[in-house]
Amino acid sequence: MNDAAKKRLVLVGLSVGCLALAGAFLLDLWGRPVSLEPILPVDPIFTNTATVRVSGAELVRTGGDASGLDCYTCHDKQKRIVLHFDAQQNIILSDAHKDLTMGHGRHNRNNHCFNCHDETNLELLQTRDGRELKLLESSPLCGSCHGPTLRDWEAGAHGRKNGFWSAAAGPFQRQNCVSCHDPHAPKFPPQQPAPRPHPLRPGGVKADESAKAH
Amino acid sequence: MTEPSTPLRQPLDAPMNRRNFLRSTAALTAGFAGLAASLAPLRELKDFTSVDEFMQKYYKELTPAEMARVLKRIEDQVQREYGLRPHVRDLKPLDGVEFVYCLNLTRCIGCRKCVHACVAENNLSRNPEIQYIRVLRMPHGSIDMEKAEHNYSPASVPEKGYFYMPVQCQQCQNPPCVKVCPVHATWQEKDGITVIDYDWCIGCRYCEAACPYWARRFNFTKPTVPKDQLNPEMAYLGNRPRRQGVMEKCHFCIQRTRAGRYPACLEVCPTGARKFGNILDPNSEVSYILRSKRVFIQLKEELGTVPRFFYYFDV
Amino acid sequence: MTTGIRNYSTFLWRCGRVAFCGDWRYYLWIGLLFIVCLLGLNAYAKQLVHGLVVTGMSDEVSWGVYIANFTFLVGVAAAAVMMVIPVYIYNNEELHDLVIFGELLAVAAILMCLAFVMVDLGRPDRFWHLIPGIGQFNFPASMLSWDVIVLNGYLLLNVHICGYLLYCRYQRKMPSRWFYVPFVFIAIVWAISIHTVTAFLYVGLGGRPFWNSSIVGPRFLASAFSAGPALMILAIQIVRRVTATVPLSEVTRRLGGGTVNHQAMVKRGATLEDLQLLARHLPEFATVPPQTLQPLLPSLTILEVSRGDILLHQGETDAVAFFVLKGRVVVEREESGRCRVTRSAGPGDQFGEVSALHGTPRAGTAIAQEPTQVLRVPSDALRRLMKSPALNRIVRARMAERLMITDRALMTLRGIVQVSMLINVFLLLNEVFKEFYSGNLHVASSKYLFLGLHGHNALVPWIWIAIVFNLAAMVLLVLPVSRSLRWLNLTCVLCIVGIWIEKGMGLVVPGFIPTPLGDIVEYMPTLNETLICFGIWAFGLLCYTVFLRMAVPILQGELTKAGEGKPEASAAPA
Repeated sequence: MNDAAKKRLVLVGLSVGCLALAGAFLLDLWGRPVSLEPILPVDPIFTNTATVRVSGAELVRTGGDASGLDCYTCHDKQKRIVLHFDAQQNIILSDAHKDLTMGHGRHNRNNHCFNCHDETNLELLQTRDGRELKLLESSPLCGSCHGPTLRDWEAGAHGRKNGFWSAAAGPFQRQNCVSCHDPHAPKFPPQQPAPRPHPLRPGGVKADESAKAH
Repeated sequence: MTEPSTPLRQPLDAPMNRRNFLRSTAALTAGFAGLAASLAPLRELKDFTSVDEFMQKYYKELTPAEMARVLKRIEDQVQREYGLRPHVRDLKPLDGVEFVYCLNLTRCIGCRKCVHACVAENNLSRNPEIQYIRVLRMPHGSIDMEKAEHNYSPASVPEKGYFYMPVQCQQCQNPPCVKVCPVHATWQEKDGITVIDYDWCIGCRYCEAACPYWARRFNFTKPTVPKDQLNPEMAYLGNRPRRQGVMEKCHFCIQRTRAGRYPACLEVCPTGARKFGNILDPNSEVSYILRSKRVFIQLKEELGTVPRFFYYFDV
Repeated sequence: MTTGIRNYSTFLWRCGRVAFCGDWRYYLWIGLLFIVCLLGLNAYAKQLVHGLVVTGMSDEVSWGVYIANFTFLVGVAAAAVMMVIPVYIYNNEELHDLVIFGELLAVAAILMCLAFVMVDLGRPDRFWHLIPGIGQFNFPASMLSWDVIVLNGYLLLNVHICGYLLYCRYQRKMPSRWFYVPFVFIAIVWAISIHTVTAFLYVGLGGRPFWNSSIVGPRFLASAFSAGPALMILAIQIVRRVTATVPLSEVTRRLGGGTVNHQAMVKRGATLEDLQLLARHLPEFATVPPQTLQPLLPSLTILEVSRGDILLHQGETDAVAFFVLKGRVVVEREESGRCRVTRSAGPGDQFGEVSALHGTPRAGTAIAQEPTQVLRVPSDALRRLMKSPALNRIVRARMAERLMITDRALMTLRGIVQVSMLINVFLLLNEVFKEFYSGNLHVASSKYLFLGLHGHNALVPWIWIAIVFNLAAMVLLVLPVSRSLRWLNLTCVLCIVGIWIEKGMGLVVPGFIPTPLGDIVEYMPTLNETLICFGIWAFGLLCYTVFLRMAVPILQGELTKAGEGKPEASAAPA
């Protein structure tokens, strides 16, 4: 085959190649982006700004069922309340109070109802230094033991403070201690974590870590 | 072509005869057909950059009137796309304000609610997923990032033996991302927030490589936000919808904080581990924290980035 | 002025036409490159529509194979100076003709670099934001803005130098030193700077300990100066191969029946008219004063030869030079069974002068292409003629105007690759020692690269291949075995592949793994991304091929201003 014939062949071959390629391009035969794995929408509980528990004050404010706060529907005003403890010094709760978890402080040292409640008037709280507080204004009571925490809370550094950071722009709301802490078992309750991230590319799992975990 | 009697070397640019010419023309035509067909995917190019958007000036050079036009264009665009008229503002930094974030590692339980509140507030892409905040689970006794776990998902948090450290833009005083941007598309405002002009970013991702906190995110494709979940309260430098191919990152919820509100991640935090405010105001909680707490971590302090994001412990 | 523009556009037009002419191999090569370009263009169109999600990149590994190729190619571009330095600073004769090849490679490499940066952008439509004046240019803070300046500056410098030298050669004019020598020296400094700046892109990032090491800059230069010249060694041999045709015997057979026919030459004494004819084509000849000319006349002879006659033989030594008065003589150099035109001499041009003046063996065989008349000048007569400064200058300048691609030039390049490779491996070992011996927290990326981290080890086989290749190349380079071209070529391939992996993927990707927050997400280029890379490489090779297609005939003296309009007239009907 001489040069001219080879050239002819090459040109024909290239033309055919180009046209075939054009066809393939138009049919979009390869390189389509893989569609992304669907990601489930996040449950609205994870964007909810509500506090983890509803305090009595909040219940009253929002007009909820605050009947649990009326001590004297059950208790007799005149009758002295006697507390019962078992051999390990755990308090024995009456059936009406079985819903309470007693877990304030370590080593059961703070399991005496009248450390906080006023034994003479159940609708009041009492501090260790003898002040009497309303049932729904408990924060100073907490602070009577947890002084530094109260100080932080007052400065806005402990607990939740929402709304406006700028007083000029609007008000802020500060949550009371009992909005987050159950006074009978104040440890912050465990939460279900929101879904983990879904990275664009697979990965992120450290093989030896996960092996350790299982 | 080379016959024994003709010169061995053809003249370099000898004209072609007709047959050759036709053949070459056919080959050229096939080449052009291939060229045209190779551009076929462009048929699917849906949202063309409008002329206005293409020609739009740099943020800092826009006059108030031009800015108003730009904001209107954005509102129109959002309305077309989401069927909802947003309220887009260009909020300027407030005088006498410098924002600081403090995060109490003793309090954080790793529930990741901040991550998703941020997604909702800032109209972040749901798929592909873009999140400004990454919560790290660290074993006690270390802040070695090597030991950080990003994908923990136990039934409940906190887990024994671990603490949690949410990381987002640290709003550095000496931001490496701003330094490296070749087009000034990201800069630090005087209230300390490092912002991005999404209409100016060219998408080179140099800032993403420069950030020591992995705080920047790139729109690898068109972001998706469900129409019914769009937050219509928007800011130009904040949570307005982004285009494909640009960077974004945490801006301390500029649309909220420059209007005096707390950022969304703080609002949702169930434990109050997140604290935000004006460091120039001695009565702000962040001033109080920096004054009265003792142990602070500025992440990767040795890099000299001087973050405005402080991690601290109490108790 | 207007004639200048007209001449220049004619030059460009003719160069453009040359780019479309060639044998079937040329068409096949160009066509295949074009097809690969189309594949890349198509893949890029998809990327434009769907975004960078069609690549393997992610927020975790936000730069990939585009930037890796960019980094490698900046090195290739910078390495062009390794051809220039020996020539302009050490007056290396062997490399002289090849400087332009090196600079053209630099131009092609920079074009590829710019293309790789473009395809890496998320918003290429906003490219104008990068243009100083109309955009916002973060200079000098951003190293990327430095890169924009140095890359484009380097492109302009090289385009200017090659373009100017080639245009002068085309016009058969002596290039004015002021017009290019300063630029050559600027380009030398500039070349170092483009690669240093590119290294600084990485080095400047304090948050990425893998890159934040001052040795990266020197390593970049060392690897560039071994990979670049290695690529040149291969490219030059390819040029030598494809510009070479059939053996000399075949050439002479086709030209005139094959026999060397000294008898057919008409030989006579030169007359003043002959010299006037020469002076018409070579105005500098007219500056020789008649009192010099007159006594020389008896020693000058005129040879009239016919097509296919051989005027001098490669390898002979005889002290005679020639000037062409009429017709055309082509000097063919035969190497390893093939021969290539080193020079094509038309009226006014010289040949054989190098051996005549230096006493070296003839570098090629001169064959008349058509009925030709030449002036035969013995060397002492030539020396006497060259006492005239103007003639001396033009003759000396034109001595360099031949396309020699000698093995000795390749060996000079081998020396450069050898030294650079030793330095490169040494610096690499330095880095490895520092990382692993100190063993601080920042070793994670290196661990990922060399050993794998937490079960992730995508790059481990690659980097070990690179290391084995680099070490093998280094050993081969220091052994005398690489003086043989076959081994040298193998060495060069090892060198290029090894450095591409080590410097491209082995530098860019592990910088992102683990992320600054300790997450590990691996990177693997997708099909689409790979096609774009192939497309850009094909585009670069296409550019380089076309540049060479234009440059080689100019360097050989086949495409000249004197030849304007001629091919059309003499075109043989096929």
